[in-house]
Amino acid sequence: MEPSIVLAPGASESGLCSMLATLIRQTLDEDAIKKKVVGRMIGRIAIVAPDLDQSLTLLFEGGRVELYAGIVGIPDITVRANAEWIMKMSLIETTPRLHLPDPRGKVAREVFGASRAGEIEVHASPASVPLLLRFTHLMSVV
Amino acid sequence: MSSEEGFDFPSDAWTAAFKDAVNGNERYREAGKPWIHGAVAMVVSADPALGLEHDMGMILDVDQGVCRGTSLVKGMDAVAETPFVIVAPYARWRQVIEGELDPIKGMMEGKLKLTQGNLPIMIRYVESSRELVTSAAHVPTRFRG
Repeated sequence: MEPSIVLAPGASESGLCSMLATLIRQTLDEDAIKKKVVGRMIGRIAIVAPDLDQSLTLLFEGGRVELYAGIVGIPDITVRANAEWIMKMSLIETTPRLHLPDPRGKVAREVFGASRAGEIEVHASPASVPLLLRFTHLMSVV
Repeated sequence: MSSEEGFDFPSDAWTAAFKDAVNGNERYREAGKPWIHGAVAMVVSADPALGLEHDMGMILDVDQGVCRGTSLVKGMDAVAETPFVIVAPYARWRQVIEGELDPIKGMMEGKLKLTQGNLPIMIRYVESSRELVTSAAHVPTRFRG
């Protein structure tokens, strides 16, 4: 089944929602593996960008992704970071086979450093780690 | 008009000066080296109140850190073949040129819109994209309104 990426009513007004929807759509268009990955993703991920004064929620329902402006429902994962870091998270180098963040990568090290410094906050229960790793793979553009 | 007074934005003279600014930007030359994905158009939306009766596009023929040419075109049809098109109202471009708005952050806020082109590529070369657009800050500019 082809994944579908949809904006919830009102979400098109949010630049961040529109941009992420486009990013996910175009990423899936050119990567069959990521289509399978998104098919296995179930849960809610919230992204908060304080410097943009914007937040959004991505609801993953096994191949269907709906983006909401603001925090909707109870997120399984919350990522809080300024715009620059949100962008950089898409540039994290991943390992070739498992597509896990590669700690040797330049951007990955910067992002880990920012996490340690509190510039990036990721709140997730241990049960949500697989969703987080799939999300990292999905959003990676490198 | 002399460049000391500033070039009218947008205009043919401004667009030509933009090419020089891009090629004079060492950070772009470095960050843009891997860019082989074609031209980028910056489009100013029509705003009759400012005397802009049509959308105006500045097409930058960029390749591997060099701007090979620029052209000022009228209307969105004129940028239909351009691989990457970024559209924003006059006031937003003014903010970018004056260094008040980071173009990438502006895209995330929806203030600048990528209406054509592959966003993952744009993000992959985010520093190149940023340096390309912010080169405009080095063009002496006279604004409308």
